[in-house]
Order: sequence, then structure tokens, then C-alpha cells
Amino acid sequence: MTFLSIVFRGLTRRPVRTGLTLVGISIGIAAVVALVGISRGFERSWETGLKARGTDIVVSKMGSSLAPKPFSDVVVGRIQAIPNVAAVSSQFVELLSIESSELMMLSGRQWEGYAWQNLKLLSGRLPLTDREMAVVLGRTAAEVLNKKPGDPLQIETIELTVVGIVDGGAVVENGSAILSLPVLQEIMGEQGRVNVIDVRVVPGLSEADLKEVCSEIIRLAPDVTAVAASEHLSNSQSFRMVKAMSWGTSLLAVLVGVLGVMNTMLMTVFERKQEISVLLALGWRPGLIVRMILLESALLGFLGGIAGVMIGVGGIRILQNTAAIRGLLEPDLRAGLLLTSVAIAVIVGVVSGLYPAWRSSRITPALALQS
Amino acid sequence: MMQPMKTLEATIFEAVGLRKEYDGGQVQALRGVDFRIAKGESVAIIGPSGCGKTTLLQMLGALDKPSSGGLFYCGESLPDLPDLSAYRAGEIGFIFQSFHLLPTFTALENIQIPMFGADLPASDRTAQAMTLLQLVGLEHRAKHFPAKMSGGERQRIAIARSLANGPSVLLADEPTGNLDSENARIILDLLVRLHEQQGMTLVLVTHDMTIARRASRILRMKDGRIVFDGNPGTTDSIP
Repeated sequence: MTFLSIVFRGLTRRPVRTGLTLVGISIGIAAVVALVGISRGFERSWETGLKARGTDIVVSKMGSSLAPKPFSDVVVGRIQAIPNVAAVSSQFVELLSIESSELMMLSGRQWEGYAWQNLKLLSGRLPLTDREMAVVLGRTAAEVLNKKPGDPLQIETIELTVVGIVDGGAVVENGSAILSLPVLQEIMGEQGRVNVIDVRVVPGLSEADLKEVCSEIIRLAPDVTAVAASEHLSNSQSFRMVKAMSWGTSLLAVLVGVLGVMNTMLMTVFERKQEISVLLALGWRPGLIVRMILLESALLGFLGGIAGVMIGVGGIRILQNTAAIRGLLEPDLRAGLLLTSVAIAVIVGVVSGLYPAWRSSRITPALALQS
Repeated sequence: MMQPMKTLEATIFEAVGLRKEYDGGQVQALRGVDFRIAKGESVAIIGPSGCGKTTLLQMLGALDKPSSGGLFYCGESLPDLPDLSAYRAGEIGFIFQSFHLLPTFTALENIQIPMFGADLPASDRTAQAMTLLQLVGLEHRAKHFPAKMSGGERQRIAIARSLANGPSVLLADEPTGNLDSENARIILDLLVRLHEQQGMTLVLVTHDMTIARRASRILRMKDGRIVFDGNPGTTDSIP
């Protein structure tokens, strides 16, 4: 028998209460894993999408909605003329409900713009002209919509034909329906307007020169923002809000976990007052009692953390396969996040155990002789 | 600071004008107690409920501190010992009326509980606990939990636990109080045998005169004072 087995047995004395506390912590940790994993994953897949298209600068007008606000496409020519700009590809991006998918990204791309180049054709073909009422689907989007080349696809009130299935090299791309810019502008009634301009600069440009290009773009089109692709998402007000909400919700859930563990450990100390006094009478030092309570609390946190990580990962996997968001979610569940979550749970355990441990150190051994 | 009287070398405990008050003096549990206990002596403290005998046991076990007066262990002021936990762990073995075994631990594990204060390897703890189980004749119950044992067996486990760190003194609070007469006799025989074989000082609190007579000396308490101090042969004169 080791000291740890004494600690473990302490938790098994009230299995139902210990179990309920573990549920409380694990829900908090599952929320951390799920919400932070999703927001980080979204950030990463967005960056991967930009990288897959070879975009160095993103020009947009981010508001508080999920999709950026439209602006006149006359700025495209001006940006093209800026020194060190190698290529420009404007887009109209929108999130819409399309047939069986409740939320899908629509990407209308400038005809012959470089954003078409990263699409690897898996079946069918790309649109033949910028006016063809045709759409290509990323492979996840095709699965979600259950479409193959030749099938019709209803977008808003217009019926288009799926002409190809593509692999875009990133989750965002694979979950999108892609069509030519003029066709989407017509569908959305936004002729002559775009909401994203992808910009490629000449190879080997320094970071300072890249910033200079961004400044020049903003000078030419003051109502838009131009940021390096890597900073695009972190500059988005909507994304910052989503990120803050995910951390906020997680912290709230963790706080509930803290209160749950503290309550359990306090109950434990109160219930075991006489047992603790007997241990003191048998020669245990108050420090050893404090260590026992803190370790019990930390163990609760650790077990809750492990369970929470499993629930969080499992929940995300289920969520990923639900029809509503299938193909839109690529959570970032790297070991770092999972270990951090377990570490948070252990810290929660220790912090929650501090007050009960202090209370336990105040118990007098004289109680041992009271019946 | 109160000094011990000129003590004999063999004195293990000495109380001089020992007082214990609670609730700011409203309750006087001990009202000036004087006695001396020699090493290896067996002493029974008797008296009616509320007379202060358990309080006295608390003082001897360093579970509580006196309000005034002196209490000495081997000539040292007991409340002023630098490490009372070490005193309780190394010098004292406690036996409680309600056994106080931990319910989620087996007999063998319960005996090891006091050993966690000392830096012993797990294998040594287990071996030592098994030896103590054999001493109380319960080696066949090593892996049983307290709930599956009789009251007498539980108290024997508790006695084995009290011996875990090789104490000089056994302090027993009504050790047979929760047992039937047969089990009470077994426990008492065991305590007397341990006292005789291992030369430990035994101080037991009881309200049962039959049990008290097994000790070599009886202290009778009343209203927080010792009203009789003598050997069992003179009990006819106990007030």
C-alpha cells in the first residue's frame, strides 16, 4: 500500500458523489477541448486554405457578420498595378443554406484568377466560361449534398449544374461550392461587387515590403483592410468574438467544475473530521493530511480531465458528422491542446482543494476520542 | 514554567496541578490533578462519565494541551515538546472505544496507516503489519475489510495498529466498551499480555471495575480530581 492508494481510496468511499463531481469537471474540460479545438481548427484550416491558394495578402472589409462585406470591384485593377504585386484574384464569398446542407460556403472566383489553380479535379471538369451556369464542388461538399457531375444544384432561386468535383487541399476549400464570380454576383444580386481579394506578391518579398504593399492597398482603397494572410483571421472582428466566446464559455464551465470539486472536497473534509483526527492521533502530521486532501482533489481533477478530453473529442467527432456542419469543421485536436486541458483540470483540482485542505489542517486530534 | 517534582528515573508521566478548562473556564474538566506513572506500569483510570478521565487521556496523548499546571513525559514538559506529531507517532499507541478503523482499507492496510509518518519502504510496512497481525492472532483476516469482521476482531486490529511504530506507551480509551463479555476478556488478555511481554506502559480508561482490577494500579477520578490512587487490592477503600 502506498500513499497514493490512500488518496485513491478516499475518493472511492463515496462513489456516487465522486462520480457526479467527475461529470462536472469533465463537462467543463470537454467544453474547453471542443470550443477551443473548433476555434483553433477553424483558424488553422482558414490559413491552410489561403496557403493552398498561394495567397500572401487578403483584402476585405470585415464587419461583424461571418462573411465579409461587399465592396466595388474597381479596386481590383488598382491593386494589380501596385509594385511587387504578382497576381490578384477577387472573390465573392457567402455562407448559405444549399439544398440538404444548412450552411455551406459559396466561393465565386474571378474568372481565370489564380484561385482556380489549386483545385485538383477529381471528376468532371471546371466551368468552360465565366458565364456558364456551372458549379464545382469540393469533395466534402459533394458528399454532404450527395452530388456528382451532371446533377443539378439549386442555389437560392437559380438552378446550376454540378460539372466537377475537386480537391482544394484544405477543409474550407473541400467544403465549398465554387463557381465563377459573375455567376455568383448575379445570383446574389451583387453585380460589380466582391468581398475578398486575394493578392500574391512577387516571390522573396521581405516582411517589411509586404507591409508596404498592404499600406499601399489601404491608401488606394481606404474602406478596406489589407493584411498578411497569416494575420487575416486574427484581424477579423467576428472571429475574435467567436474565439473570446469559446474561451469565455470554457472558463465558465471550468469555474463550475472548480465549485463542484471544492464542494465535494469540503464535504469530504467535514464528513471525515473524526477520521482525520484519528490519523492525527496516530501520528500523522497536519502537512500529511493537507497533502492527502490536495492529492485527492488533484486526482479528481486529473480523472475529470481525462474523461473531459474523451468526451470533448468524441463530441466533436459526432458534431463533425452531423449534416448541418459536415465539412465545415476541422477541429485542432493536437496533443498540446489535450494535454493543456488535462493540466487545466489538475490545476482546477488543486486550486479547489486549497480551502478544504486548509480546513483539514485546522482539525484537532482531540476529536479522535469523542464518540 | 512549572517544573517536575524531583522524579524517579523510572517515571514516564508526571502531572503537577494539571488543569483543563473549556468555554473560557465555564467547564472545568481537570481541576488540579497530580500523579506520577512509572515506566512499564499498567494504570486504569476509572470514574463516572464526565469526571475528566478521557480529558486526562487526551493530555497524555498530546491530543490537547492543558490550560495550566505541568505535564511531563520522561522529565520533559509534554505540551512544549518540539514535535508533538513525532511524539504521537513514535511514543504513543492509541486504542479507541469505537476502533476507528478506516472502512475502505483491509486489516493489513489499516495496521500500516500510522507508519506513513515514518519513511519506510512499502515492503517493510507490509512485513511489519503482517507480524503485528500474527501477534494479535488475525493473520488469516489480513485481506478482510473492517465491515466483514466482528467487534472483537476489529479491536484486535486496532491494537495491532497501535503497535505499528513500536510505542513506549499504550493509551486505551474504553477498549472493551463496544464488546460483549467474551470479546472483552480476549481483548483485555491481549492488552495484559502485550504489557507484560513488551514492557510497555499501559494506561486504560474504563468504567468497568472488573477490567480496572487487571491493572497494577487504579486512579479513580471524580469531578476532575483524582480521589483514589492505589493498587487493585485496596479497592475496597475506593470512595
